[in-house]
Amino acid sequence: MAAYVVRRVVMMVGLLFVLTVAVFFLFTLLPGDPARLTCGKACSPQIIEANRHRLGYDQPILTQYEEFLSGLVVGRTYSADSPDPIVCNAPCLGYSFTRHEQVLTLITAAAPTTFWLATGAFIMWISAGISLGIFAALNHGRWPDRLVMGISLVGYSLPSFFIGLVLIFFVILKLNWLPFPAYVSPFDNPFQFLQTMILPWIVLAVLNTAFYMRLTRNQVLETFNEDFVRTARAKGLPERTVVIKHALRAGLTPLVTAAGMDLAALLGGAIITESIFSLPGLGALAVSSVLESDLPLITGITLVTSAIIIVANLVVDLLYAVIDPRVRLA
Amino acid sequence: MICLIILIVFYLVGIFGPVVAGMFGISPYTFDSNAISDLGGKPYGAFGGISLAHPLGVEWGTGRDIFAQLLFGLRISLIISTTATLLTVTIGVLIGIIAGYAGGITDSLLGRLMDLILAFPFLLIVLALSGVLTQRLTDLGVPEGNVSRVLYLILVMSVFGWPYLARIVRGQVLSLREREFVEAAVSMGASRRRILFTEILPNLWAPILVYATLTLPSYIGLEAALSFLNVGVLPPDTTFGAMLANSVTYFNVVPTYLFIPGTVLVILVVSFNLFGDSLRDALDPKGGH
Amino acid sequence: MERRMDKGWLRALALGAVAALALSACSSSTPTASQAPGSTTQPTTAPTAGPKAGGTVYLLTQADQFDQVDPQRSYTGEDLAFFSSTIYRSLEAYTYSPDNPTASKLTPDLATDLGTSTDGAKTWSFTLRDGVTFQDGSPITCADIAYGVSRTFATDVINQGPTYAIQDLNIPQDAKGNSQYPGPYKATAAQQALFDAAVTCSADGKTITFHLSKPVADFNYTVTLGFSPVPKAADTGESYGVAKPPMASGPYEVQSYTTGKGGKMILVRNPNWSQASDPYRHPYPDQWEVDFGLDPQVIDQRLIQSTGTDQTAISYAGMQPQNLATVFTDPTTTLPAFAGRAVSAYDIYTRYLWINVQKVPNLLIREAMAAALDRSAMKKNLGGDFYGDYADGAVKPNIGADYAPTGLWTTLLGEAIPDTGDPAYAKTLIAKSGVAAPTITYNYPDTPVRGKEAAIIQASLQAAGFKVTLAPLPSGSYYSTVFDPTKAGDLGYGGWGADWPNASTVVPDLFTQAGGWDLSQVDDSAFNAEVQAAAAETDRAKQSTDWQALNTETMKNVWLIPTFFGLSQDLVGTKLATVAGANGALYLWGPYGSKPYGDFYVKQ
Repeated sequence: MAAYVVRRVVMMVGLLFVLTVAVFFLFTLLPGDPARLTCGKACSPQIIEANRHRLGYDQPILTQYEEFLSGLVVGRTYSADSPDPIVCNAPCLGYSFTRHEQVLTLITAAAPTTFWLATGAFIMWISAGISLGIFAALNHGRWPDRLVMGISLVGYSLPSFFIGLVLIFFVILKLNWLPFPAYVSPFDNPFQFLQTMILPWIVLAVLNTAFYMRLTRNQVLETFNEDFVRTARAKGLPERTVVIKHALRAGLTPLVTAAGMDLAALLGGAIITESIFSLPGLGALAVSSVLESDLPLITGITLVTSAIIIVANLVVDLLYAVIDPRVRLA
Repeated sequence: MICLIILIVFYLVGIFGPVVAGMFGISPYTFDSNAISDLGGKPYGAFGGISLAHPLGVEWGTGRDIFAQLLFGLRISLIISTTATLLTVTIGVLIGIIAGYAGGITDSLLGRLMDLILAFPFLLIVLALSGVLTQRLTDLGVPEGNVSRVLYLILVMSVFGWPYLARIVRGQVLSLREREFVEAAVSMGASRRRILFTEILPNLWAPILVYATLTLPSYIGLEAALSFLNVGVLPPDTTFGAMLANSVTYFNVVPTYLFIPGTVLVILVVSFNLFGDSLRDALDPKGGH
Repeated sequence: MERRMDKGWLRALALGAVAALALSACSSSTPTASQAPGSTTQPTTAPTAGPKAGGTVYLLTQADQFDQVDPQRSYTGEDLAFFSSTIYRSLEAYTYSPDNPTASKLTPDLATDLGTSTDGAKTWSFTLRDGVTFQDGSPITCADIAYGVSRTFATDVINQGPTYAIQDLNIPQDAKGNSQYPGPYKATAAQQALFDAAVTCSADGKTITFHLSKPVADFNYTVTLGFSPVPKAADTGESYGVAKPPMASGPYEVQSYTTGKGGKMILVRNPNWSQASDPYRHPYPDQWEVDFGLDPQVIDQRLIQSTGTDQTAISYAGMQPQNLATVFTDPTTTLPAFAGRAVSAYDIYTRYLWINVQKVPNLLIREAMAAALDRSAMKKNLGGDFYGDYADGAVKPNIGADYAPTGLWTTLLGEAIPDTGDPAYAKTLIAKSGVAAPTITYNYPDTPVRGKEAAIIQASLQAAGFKVTLAPLPSGSYYSTVFDPTKAGDLGYGGWGADWPNASTVVPDLFTQAGGWDLSQVDDSAFNAEVQAAAAETDRAKQSTDWQALNTETMKNVWLIPTFFGLSQDLVGTKLATVAGANGALYLWGPYGSKPYGDFYVKQ
């Protein structure tokens, strides 16, 4: 096991390194000259060049990458040769000259919202998806099964932004059941937090709920046919015990690991959800950074979110190895 | 099989959209100033100016016909999603077979490549790079404007989409490789190419077909989401997502802007998914997910 | 000055915001005794029964943050109006009044009067009031103002702000026209001496004198822009005002500032500000809260309903077009239910399409483009009559005497051009030009509204035989891209507002390279000379006729196609009133084309 863990961790670090390369160089393609961007009216070529130097964009691209990488480890100082340097502490993801802030600070400020959004949606789709999936499996072939499968089909056919807009239209604008979303931390005002988050949670959870209904149903149905369940039934155990103790436990294990991956992947869906509901999370920050052509911020967010996905990947794999020892040998 | 009929109708409408629009005497490129008010550009009449001349109303501020926009938008959505699906399947199958059949270091490298691609926050990258990569395409000789924008969408969807299929195919190939008929062919000295194309590929078509029919609707949805985020075709052309994005400003006043394109989009995607499901059931009675 | 750009298609989805950019500026004065509201904490001296101290005013905005907080970098009309009303004092300020000519008059702020010019307006002196202090209680001296001004020269750090100090102060320039003084951060002793010679302080530190390189008749207007004091010890360079609160000199200080959606800036009373040293301001509200990252649609709805804290809320950016019919019957009439808390008035901005004359050098072709343009369809797309009036030049009528009709749409193009454009006539102009109709690349900020506008422009120019390629740019980097001659197209969206009520902040800015907003890439030496002569003219009446003639000349050359003189529609909560407005009604503050932030009070 230890060897397996070491191998996977080494692989992950390698992947992370490749990731920094890919992200960094991909974004050097971005339009808009960062040096020009910080230069306002009456911008002369001299000012642009001075800016370029100050932001460190006058260096060869490889040197820029080196600085970026070492900034991650030991921090960096912009325009160190001026009497007014900007210090960015390790781990330095860069400095946003649009927002006059370290990128890491901005990301840390936005992360909790996305965390709550993802967690709430996760709980919602896991509970709804699994319970409805089991319900369908237990009623296999009868109308509740068909109903659940029908809901699931529509659920994963609905574009999430469309659901979001429809919910805003009815629940907020027409029926006035909820106030306009205004995010607050759950620790400051739990009630307003719930009021704000309930629709975003639904929007973000719909697709995965539909998917997990199906997945759960099929998994459970499959285990019904497995030998140990048949044996349990044959032994005359009550149906309840058979279903809960045997079929579900075996059937849902793979689900749990899949869920870990999906949770990490939610960061992508958060872009649309946060934008529609004006939530101050990473997705919205990412969109703003793109609109503002804020190169350091875009790079930083991309890197952080990708790294989270890669790490989640590893954790899930390791968990799976613990659950199912055969994997280690693969 | 109703869904199949619906899909055929959608494709026919997509292909002959301009003809249909011509029959109604409407065009998405005509600015009808008489259909909207001077004061705020609001369409005259109820539900966004629904009238004989404009069966589904007109756009706020420009007077462009909504029905014509739908017809032309459907066309673009279908072009993008169909082409992207074909490309995704081609890349996915090729790489999946190579990884599964070659094994060893090739397999391992391709696996890590897939990990890397799947780790990227797809939406963010597509948003951030749309301008510059579209420009690159133009520099490479692709006609500028919507040709390069459509091509960009097709390419990014394919580039970020193939790993899913490649993984499935790789798994299938791994198990097929061990089967007797393949081993028999190998022992008979058949060339590698022959084994791949005559022995293995024919056994893969069922899962590939099922995957493709389910990928296509997801690409329709993805294209809509991207143009909702303003990564899409330039005006005056439009797509479902762009129409929905436009509706946001006005739907409190004119709800049809939201519900008309939204409903058509949902019907289209549901039909595809239903079709994909029935295809899967037909090809693989055991089901799966 | 610039108007804040709509940075958001995404937000636009929720918002449909109108992307606009402009700049504004301002003017003047009058010292009518602004009613003093009593000291900062004790409103006891409120002069009328109406205004009383107390309450919190909320500013609701779609933006994720202020463009700039630094007093030397702030350069959008709304920000300047807000900050100058609350946290930053300057040598001179503008009067709060619904009447545009009155509001455009200067009133002394830190200075005791409107400044003294000698040497043919090449030397300007201002004497500071007694008792003026920063929020830490330290006195504001001539040195603090001089230091603030010097920061403007550090163009690599203190960027994007007004640059009048660099243009006007008598500091030697190198061959390329760059100042030899690089700002306080990296100046050598010799370089610092150049600045110290141009800005001198009296021995008692009470009088500051500016030595200019040329006569500037309206330099006391200039000092309202970027001439605020900054104590050297408090300066943190690039992040000044953001990482830590800036050193406030006005009646409020920044308590906290967080950016992004859900971010807030909280202003509380500055305990060391005294009414005695600042007769100009009357700070009634106890607190200001700026709420960032809100959906504009939501902002409008909240203000229309006006319940709870929204009763004292202000929409920072103005209303969305689709909600206007809820509040106004037409651009000049407010529905009775919103009387007193809604206003529709000219802002300071002119919208136009710049034509890159380097790429489109043929005058007849430019005339054809102007003649073909369907401005009527463009206007409907932007909100119809609520958006504004058809413009006939860069100079806007509400600037005052410097405006005169140019006759662009009646005579200058050879015949009268209807608002819907005249493609047939445009074709004859193209035929006369002797060249083929070129392919036009059109640049615009990539937002839904501007996208539809682009489609209209494309369709109307194509009707005249042009081929038009659309080239949208990310809205956040729009201007920085089109100012790059290697990246700019042939035609593009633009907007500008006068920095103060003098066309000296419009004509030179837009049509000379030195002006800094020359999107048309005009560089005409004869025209430059005429502009310089007009700017140096000390007879204001003569100067006005000069600007009128020059404005007409720019239109004869069709260096840009003016489209609209913009209107702005604003709405505030039910419990907010203004001191100067009739019966406390909301009004638009002329000099900045903004809400009159310093004039609000909460009805108790």
